[in-house]
Amino acid sequence: MPFAFTDVEVEIRSNIRTLFRREWDRLALAGTWWSGAERGDIARAARHGRFGGDAQPSSLSDGAIEAAAAIGARPAAIRREWVERVANDLGYPRYVEIVGVTSRLAAIDTFHAAVGTAREPLPEPEPGEPSRSEEPQARPGAAWVPMVGGASITQALSLVDAESTAQEDMHGPLYLTYEGMAELDYVGGLSRAQMELVAARTSAINECFY
Amino acid sequence: MLRASAQVTTIPLDPRAITDRSVDPLLPAGEALLDFVDAVLTGDEASQEVTREAVAGELGPSGLVDAAGVIANFEMMNRIADATGMPVGKGTLKRTAEWRELIGIDRFNHLGS
Repeated sequence: MPFAFTDVEVEIRSNIRTLFRREWDRLALAGTWWSGAERGDIARAARHGRFGGDAQPSSLSDGAIEAAAAIGARPAAIRREWVERVANDLGYPRYVEIVGVTSRLAAIDTFHAAVGTAREPLPEPEPGEPSRSEEPQARPGAAWVPMVGGASITQALSLVDAESTAQEDMHGPLYLTYEGMAELDYVGGLSRAQMELVAARTSAINECFY
Repeated sequence: MLRASAQVTTIPLDPRAITDRSVDPLLPAGEALLDFVDAVLTGDEASQEVTREAVAGELGPSGLVDAAGVIANFEMMNRIADATGMPVGKGTLKRTAEWRELIGIDRFNHLGS
C-alpha cells in the first residue's frame, strides 16, 4: 500500500496518509481535461523539471511538458506572457489542471523529504476518458487564468472544479482548513505563530509574495 | 497570517528572521524551525536529518509532522499563486505595508511587475 511511511521514525497522522492515497487515486484516474496516463506524464514531467534525471517518454505536447516542468521547478519565474502562450496552446482549463496536479505533487514530494523518506513511485494510470466538464461561471479577471468569483487563492483553480476541490482537500490535513485559518490562536503540534513562521520562510525561499 | 497570529497571541516575534537568518526570530523553537525549512527546501539529506532531529527534540514528533505539513502545503500554494498570477489585494497590501518593508519581501517581484 502506498504511503505506509514504515521507514519514518515518527508517526504520520492517518489523515495525511489517507489524503496522499486519495491524491494518488486522483492522479491515476482520468481528470477533467487529461486522461490518467496524461496526468501521470504531467507528474513525471514535473518531477523531471524539479529533480532532474533521465527524461521519460511522454504522451504530452512540448507545451504541456514545459508547463509541468516550470511549475514543478521554478514557479517564481513564471510570467503572464508565458502563461498566455502556454494556455493559447493547451487551453486554460488544461493549463489549470496541470497547475493543480503539479502543485499537489510538489506538496507530497516535499513532505517526504521533510520526514526523511524517498518519494513515492507514481501510480499506474487507470483507463477512462476526461469528463471535459466546463465551468460556466468562470470569468477572466485580475489573475492570469479565469476563475469563479473574484481573484482569490482559494478560487485559483476554480476553472476546473475537481482541481479546486483537491486543493482544498490538501490544505486542511497539511495546514488548516479554509475555515480554520481564522483561528489565529490555534495550537496543535505547533502554535499558530510557529506554523506561520514556517509558512512565511517557505514562501520567502520560494520568492513568493504569499 | 504570521503578523495577525503574533498580534492576537502577543507572542514575541521578530519577523525580519523570515528573510534574514542572522536575526533571532524570538519565537520558541523558531531557530530550529527555520533551519528545518531551509534544509528541506535547499539543503542536502544530511542537513535535513540534523534539523529534523532538532525540531523533533524541541517540539516532539507531532511538531515535526506539523512543520513538514506546513512546508508541503505552502509548496503547493506558492506554485498555485505563481502559476495563476494571483494578485495581492489592495486591502492586504495596505495592512501589511509596515511588515513588508521590515521583512523586505517587496523585492520578490511578484507577478513580474
